[in-house]
Amino acid sequence: ATSISPRFDLKTYWTDLIKEIDQKLDEAIPVQYPNQIYEAMRYSVLAKGAKRAPPVMCVAACELFGGNRLAAFPTACALEMVHAASLIHDDLPCMDDDPSRRGKPSNHTIFGVDMAILAGDALFPLGFRHIVSHTPTDLVPETRLLRVIAEIARAVGSTGMAAGQFIDLEGGPNAVDFVQEKKFGEMGQCSAVCGGLLAGASDDEIQRLRNYGRAVGVLYQVVDDILEAKTETEENKKKGKSYVSLYGVDKAMEVAEDLRSQAKKELDALEKYGEKVLPLYSFVDYAADRGFSFAAPV
Amino acid sequence: KIDARKEKPPFNFNAYVVEKANFVNKALDDAVSVKNPPMIHEAMRYSLLAGGKRVRPMLCIAACEVVGGHQSAAMPAACAVEMIHTMSLIHDDLPCMDNDDLRRGKPTNHKVFGEDVAVLAGDSLLAFAFEFIATATSGVAPNRVLAAVGELAKAIGTEGLVAGQVVDLSCTGNNSNVGLDTLEFIHIHKTAALLEASVVLGAILGGGTDEQVEKLRTFARKIGLLFQVVDDILDVTKSSEELGKTAGKDLETDKTTYPKLLGLEKAREFAEKLNEEAKLQLADFDRDKRAPLVALADYIAHRQN
Repeated sequence: ATSISPRFDLKTYWTDLIKEIDQKLDEAIPVQYPNQIYEAMRYSVLAKGAKRAPPVMCVAACELFGGNRLAAFPTACALEMVHAASLIHDDLPCMDDDPSRRGKPSNHTIFGVDMAILAGDALFPLGFRHIVSHTPTDLVPETRLLRVIAEIARAVGSTGMAAGQFIDLEGGPNAVDFVQEKKFGEMGQCSAVCGGLLAGASDDEIQRLRNYGRAVGVLYQVVDDILEAKTETEENKKKGKSYVSLYGVDKAMEVAEDLRSQAKKELDALEKYGEKVLPLYSFVDYAADRGFSFAAPV
Repeated sequence: KIDARKEKPPFNFNAYVVEKANFVNKALDDAVSVKNPPMIHEAMRYSLLAGGKRVRPMLCIAACEVVGGHQSAAMPAACAVEMIHTMSLIHDDLPCMDNDDLRRGKPTNHKVFGEDVAVLAGDSLLAFAFEFIATATSGVAPNRVLAAVGELAKAIGTEGLVAGQVVDLSCTGNNSNVGLDTLEFIHIHKTAALLEASVVLGAILGGGTDEQVEKLRTFARKIGLLFQVVDDILDVTKSSEELGKTAGKDLETDKTTYPKLLGLEKAREFAEKLNEEAKLQLADFDRDKRAPLVALADYIAHRQN
């Protein structure tokens, strides 16, 4: 498939959304008593330079079906909250024992293990609460919001991201595929599906978004791993189960190409929406090529 | 001398508790089945089905029924509040938190499954509680289900369980400055918030009016605080064997408790006062329908473990 990304300025679309999402997240977590828990939550959710890929995918999927982005913002913020909660818990000493995240000390390194666990425990429900209290009900019927809540809960739960983290730690048959799909595919899948649900997409369209989001989520991570493998030295080699660590860079690049065409194939079935499919389409190419970089955070 | 009116048989609390506990236990067993990967689900079930008293689910169902709803409307919410309660116990027992080895008379979750699985099992129960309410509630208007989701979420986070645990942790080993205000903050958040949510969810899903929901919310706040005052009293008056958890732990960790601040007798009087105030909130409800809530308040006040 030829790339059609040049017809759409993803960078501007994305950068604008980051600003809006960052502002809404900032407002969603004001510091009050007991301060330290709010500060721990803000530290991870408002980390500078976060690309906000799940919210962007959610908003783009909502707009694809003619949904108003105001309908999608609360869910988009919730995705960042539950995602941050998962990452905080994944980094804990009893889990991946990762002292840093996105180039900064991880949450428990700064706030302590107890506070890091509680920050995660608070961010999951805050996400659900944010959806309930902030989504304009004149734009989204309650039945759709209940489906969105169920979708997010399933994605982070015992058969989703928690399952991926468990297999990442404990191993098992086909561990790499399982871990990639659950740890990274779930978030992409959930983001795209939630956007579609909010806009009232049909079951068939939701299934397309499911497949699309999963492929893009895994693609994003595989490419991250490839880029990291190309620059890393022996001592900072990544732990955990990635395609690169198992099969090497060349095979991982083949996997990435497959995922790119899979994701685009799903979108081909939505071509009746015309130009509105372009944000999601160019998102695939960004995940694969990283064709631009974001301005350094101020 | 003889009352000619036909007397209804008095409310049988023991039969009620057994019936509702069986109903809830069956529903919880069905709700959390063993899926892939098995160990997380076994860890979830280990703590969820460990034979808790099911006070929160019972409050949820009783509140649903007092406003005229059928218990089936509140069943997923009743299970959800128990999932949240269990999740908070699993995480609170972790070595980096309260470091407890014993819970409900059995080794704590992380002792059996390891800390990593205990964290994930807690996270999974938290998430599943929301999934279950959103997908399994039937026969209730969607706006009511959504309101229930919002109430439950509020009870867990920084305005609920988590806030209570944060302040509790910051006080342990640093007790000279802990006054009654801080103590109440801890308990209102750590204990009362989820009891309140249990009652409020039941009332909302059972079709209660706003006024009824708020009456029951006040009732729940009172018995939530009552629950903790009684817990503190039991910690200094009962053995580990009687409690099924480590007794005397509050003294050992020099934690501020109601008996310590008020003395044992005054703490007991405070408990009685809360119980009376709670039951006053139920005055406007039908006498027969409110009987389970009245009995649950008395049970919380007078329980021995």
